[in-house]
Amino acid sequence: MRPMLKITDLSATVGEDSEAKTILNGLSLDVPAGEVHAIMGPNGAGKSTLSYVLTGRSGYEVTGGSATLNGEDILGMDPEERAAKGMFLSFQYPVEIPGVPVMTFVRTAMNAQRKARGEAEISAPDFIKKSRDVAKMLNLDAEMLKRPVNVGFSGGEKKRLEIYQMMMLEPKFLILDETDSGLDIDALKTVADGVNAMRDPSRGMLVITHYQRLLDYIKPDKVHVLAKGRIIKTGEADLALRLEKEGYDGVLGEAA
Amino acid sequence: MTTALRDFIKNPTAAELELVARYGMQPEDARRERAFLAFAETGLPHRRMEGWKWTDFKAALKALETPAAASAKDPLPDDGALVFRFTPKGFEAPAKLPDGIRMVVQPGVQAFPGAEDVPMGALAAALAGGGKRPATLAFEITSSEAPRLHFVFEGAGEASFARIVFLVRSGASLTLTESYLGGAGLTASVLEFDLERGAKLNRTIFQRGGAGEALAVTGIAHLGAEAEMTQTTLAFGAKVARMETRVVHQASGSKLNLNAAYLSGKGFHADITTNVRHGAPSCVTRQLTKGAVLDGGTGVFQGKFFVPRKTGQHTDADMQHQALLLEDGAQVFAKPELEIYADDVECAHGNTCGALDDAQMFYLRQRGIPETQARAMLTEAFIAEALGMADEAVRDVLLAEAQNWLSS
Ligand SMILES: Nc1ncnc2c1ncn2[C@@H]1O[C@H](COP(=O)(O)OP(=O)(O)OP(=O)(O)O)[C@@H](O)[C@H]1O
Ligand SMILES: [Mg+2]
Repeated sequence: MRPMLKITDLSATVGEDSEAKTILNGLSLDVPAGEVHAIMGPNGAGKSTLSYVLTGRSGYEVTGGSATLNGEDILGMDPEERAAKGMFLSFQYPVEIPGVPVMTFVRTAMNAQRKARGEAEISAPDFIKKSRDVAKMLNLDAEMLKRPVNVGFSGGEKKRLEIYQMMMLEPKFLILDETDSGLDIDALKTVADGVNAMRDPSRGMLVITHYQRLLDYIKPDKVHVLAKGRIIKTGEADLALRLEKEGYDGVLGEAA
Repeated sequence: MTTALRDFIKNPTAAELELVARYGMQPEDARRERAFLAFAETGLPHRRMEGWKWTDFKAALKALETPAAASAKDPLPDDGALVFRFTPKGFEAPAKLPDGIRMVVQPGVQAFPGAEDVPMGALAAALAGGGKRPATLAFEITSSEAPRLHFVFEGAGEASFARIVFLVRSGASLTLTESYLGGAGLTASVLEFDLERGAKLNRTIFQRGGAGEALAVTGIAHLGAEAEMTQTTLAFGAKVARMETRVVHQASGSKLNLNAAYLSGKGFHADITTNVRHGAPSCVTRQLTKGAVLDGGTGVFQGKFFVPRKTGQHTDADMQHQALLLEDGAQVFAKPELEIYADDVECAHGNTCGALDDAQMFYLRQRGIPETQARAMLTEAFIAEALGMADEAVRDVLLAEAQNWLSS
């Protein structure tokens, strides 16, 4: 069976023409539906770049290879089109949107996605009920959802808000870019519960993290090591433990 | 008479000759003459004059002609308001006004000190009146609970001029809304406000004109002790449009909120010009101007604070101008100016011009919001801040108008 997300030999640069710098360099990776794959790797390895290239951020140019979601080439699509197909990125650094309240934002996003898929809009009462349920599960204060998106939110609150959006939008493929950084111990558990609740045979996930701790809660099916723009090692969940103990040098020394 | 009048303006253009002819048809009045002379000193303001470098009426207004486009529909609600309507030839007012509002339709021109600083205001004062239209429309407000006054400037014609003066008595308050809806080739109005001790004014200006029109709205306010003025402008511009406001803090403790938003599309020009004089100690000015401009559109912001050495002590003033260039080919000219001679003051200013933030755009689009909608959403949120202090009867309408423009 073909994997849900299939990345083949992907290369990408960042920056303007003459200063373009190759960040992804022949990266290949398959994530079947129903699985959670973790990506670990040193700072600057290209993990966030991969998440941006997959979701279509401008400023990154794909110079080779392909990426498909359920067999469809996604690299040619606009970011909003990919979102409507179910791609969701929990940002490493969530962006502040002054003047736009969280609820307005998420409802607009949800209806835009539904419209793109030819579905009916969600009714206001249904939306409010859903929002209330999700907020409760994530221990989010209702007042927070009336504030402008991420403005004045603490680091941990921003991460929890990413997960709130994810649970509201119910995407098909999730990329979590260091969602665990900045979370306190209880929040980490809450967020992991949220993510685990989203696990589903029809859903795929890429979890980018530096720490084994998150993977104690979100058990990955595979762990990949991304370094110098490509996946250089793939293993089972225990690879994360080894990395934590021995460090990248220790583990990669044998691969390199 | 006509030959003598010709000499008023040096090398007059066709439009200026028509303005001279209009002046010639007005009844003789020494104050009117003084106002017209103040205008004639320069004629229609043009790019070689200080303060008019970016907004050139002489070049834009070749002749006085009825434009092809009809007036826009008035979006501001009029329920609960007293409505006054100026058209190029007519004037309508409510038959009866409540206690606390006195209106005097003056056949003569009221004196206009400082006319030479505001050539378009001087022109409005000199040519207002004739037919049913008052030369000077004067109001005295004595109540703190007077209903909103709503002024509509609309109707087809070559030109429309109006002069309105308000005296807001001590402790009284005035809520005023103005809709400039286009329809005339040239619209020029001048409104003067005298706020006595503790008086309040909340003024909102909505402006939408045709791409072939010229418009100048001049406001002049004097604030007494502890007086409070809040002004909100939403301007969509015209071929050339200037919204000019001059405020003098005349006695201590007065407070001014001076906000504006301009949205200029292709072929439109919107100019926000302000001049605030802190002529008394311990007065406060908060000024926020936001603009969004499309390809082929022009925005102009000129703001000046003047704080004299002695009388301006303990001034607290802040001027912010932020513009979004939504497309390549959008133009914004900005000149914020602080002229401060007093030493014990808090004055600040900020001025930014730029495109929408890429990171914000991507964040919205990643969540599934299409590019055009994302841009409209971000721009609306950006603009909204400048409209937040408008009277609540019209605030949402202003926002909705901005939103419609952004999403069309
Ligand atoms: N706009 C840019 N211009 C130049 N270099 C960039 C740009 N964006 C990213 N880079 C570089 O690309 C490399 C990969 O960055 P990326 O953010 O993908 O790393 P990462 O693996 O997510 O690291 P971290 O673990 O620190 O989050 C880094 O060296 C970074 O400096
Ligand atoms: Mg990163």
